[in-house]
Amino acid sequence: MKKQDEFFVPYISESLGSKTKKAIRRLVWTILFAIIVIAGVFAFTQKPFKNGSFELTSETRLTGVFHENPYPMLRVKVADDSYKNILLLGFGKSSVNPYLAVIRKDFETLAGKELAIEGNLIYYNGKTLVQITSEEKIKVMGNSDPNILPKKEKVGKVTLTGEIIDPKCYFGVMKPGYGKIHRSCAVRCISGGIPPVLAATDSNHNLHYYLITDMVGGAIHESILPYVGKPAEITGIVETYEDWQFLRINVEDIRETGEASLIY
Amino acid sequence: MGLEYKFVLWNRYKKKYDLVIAGFSIIFLLLFAGITLIVNRETTVETLVIRGFGILAVVMLHLILVIGPLCRLQPKFLPILYNRRHLGVSMFLAALVHGGFSIFQFHALGDTFPIYSIFTSNLDYFSLSNFPFQVLGFFALLILFSMAATSHDFFLANLSAVTWKRLHMMVYVAYVLILLHVVLGAFQQETSLFTIIVLGLGFVLVVLLHLLSARQELRADKIQSVETEGWFRVCEVDEIEDDRAKIFTLNKERVAIFKYENKLSAIHNVCKHQGGPLGEGKIIDGCITCPWHGYQYLPKNGQSPPPYTEKVATYDLKLVGSTVFIDPNAHAEGTEVEPLIITK
Ligand code: HEM
Ligand code: FES
Repeated sequence: MKKQDEFFVPYISESLGSKTKKAIRRLVWTILFAIIVIAGVFAFTQKPFKNGSFELTSETRLTGVFHENPYPMLRVKVADDSYKNILLLGFGKSSVNPYLAVIRKDFETLAGKELAIEGNLIYYNGKTLVQITSEEKIKVMGNSDPNILPKKEKVGKVTLTGEIIDPKCYFGVMKPGYGKIHRSCAVRCISGGIPPVLAATDSNHNLHYYLITDMVGGAIHESILPYVGKPAEITGIVETYEDWQFLRINVEDIRETGEASLIY
Repeated sequence: MGLEYKFVLWNRYKKKYDLVIAGFSIIFLLLFAGITLIVNRETTVETLVIRGFGILAVVMLHLILVIGPLCRLQPKFLPILYNRRHLGVSMFLAALVHGGFSIFQFHALGDTFPIYSIFTSNLDYFSLSNFPFQVLGFFALLILFSMAATSHDFFLANLSAVTWKRLHMMVYVAYVLILLHVVLGAFQQETSLFTIIVLGLGFVLVVLLHLLSARQELRADKIQSVETEGWFRVCEVDEIEDDRAKIFTLNKERVAIFKYENKLSAIHNVCKHQGGPLGEGKIIDGCITCPWHGYQYLPKNGQSPPPYTEKVATYDLKLVGSTVFIDPNAHAEGTEVEPLIITK
């Protein structure tokens, strides 16, 4: 009648019988096997990450001409007659504007002035952004003429499909920096003052980036939040500014497509 | 055994148990991170941590959920159940790393208090594909926290077994929340048939084992007792093994009838510690010993031997020939009942 006689009592030494031990050992091996398989499956099936970069631990010094159309940028000369416009961002999920406000107290206008800034570079796919962590990292170098700055050029009305992203995370800080997983963060960033950008794919699967403004070219933050991080179709007026494109829109003209995110 | 919580027994089984948990967790995290760094090198440390610990927590949660029914079906696994709370606390810690990193990564350093932001950064509460899945994870984490925080025997002794048990049944609510968290969250973007299958298999395993063990229990409950003049006929003496018990359901209460030293005693089947099935225990040194963590009760009065103070209800038995009868009216907990001598 004593068929199941092994009985484990934690505080009685030697109560762990050999049959029990064997059963447990088998179970533990099974669990180990399952763990290895699960780690493999979840690791292998992750979507490829983009090769965007964020130089968190090193600062770069940049010198260029400041302008604001409406988002603060630094126009940096990269070769004869070739300029790159670097988007200026604050620390974390915030705008650079509070730091600029401190600088502005001493200068009437910043547009057209030469600035030297130090910050962490963010770059991907030909675009560069820089995170500045305090107003002390911004130095006014001298007066230059606002008239040397180019003007935006109007291209025309278009309808684009893509996703509204926050450029800070998308171009390097986070991976993935777009889509459903990242959406809350993108909302926080844009709400905190990071400019909204439309990442749109054309018919050849090439990606184009558009800094989004309202119809009169002003900054948009709060009103666009419900559309951030979701595939959408937007009609607006495209303008170019050297290496960047801008899109003037009415927020009411954004249409969610309800499809899966395409910007991989 | 109420005094036990004052000095948690760090015996060598517990140490070994914890070492296995820690070792397996490290193996999992290293494998996940290693493979990712080899095949998908552009990842970030934050994403590795968030994903690694999130998946680890879910794996541990599955284990916790299947141990119970697994032990019902195969008592040899009981030594794993005995220290389940360490697995529970470890799982909470893994989930906390995942949730904490996520909250920092996605909500901190912004214009809103991070916890408030979890609820307000995505307001598509009426959409399935856009649902704010982080909210589900947040509530699950709260449940896991309350369970981990009260897992010590101190709370068991001070919360009443029923409250404690109810609190710990919330693990099923947490499980459902987490399944939805993953399906409505990561799986919407990181869609892969393979990960969906893994999670689906886990769910099937949990449900299947619960159904199987429930069926086994129902079968035990079906053993019909026939009433004659206030006594229920339960079984023949020979059907009970020596130093073991048979469990019967009377007036919806489970009762364990033990046979030992040529005697019979009946007590309420539910252990005062965490509700373990005493009838699946064994008589050791003259005491009924709970199969889950080894709490002990004297068969003659349902009391834990001094200095412990736990008490369970006792029942009257009688023998007619070799047939055992029981009076379904329980005595007050800890009431002395003269053991029934088996006469052959
Ligand atoms: C405050 C609470 C939580 C937050 C903010 C949160 C946030 C997130 C986020 C943002 C993701 C997507 C990450 C990615 O794929 O890159 C995710 C996925 C996931 N979460 Fe959570 N989570 C929370 C709680 C939990 C809990 C309690 C568990 C389980 C015990 C859990 C398990 C998972 C799993 C398994 C995944 C999918 C695998 C992965 O991609 O990491 N989460 N969670
Ligand atoms: S339930 Fe823990 S010893 Fe009985």
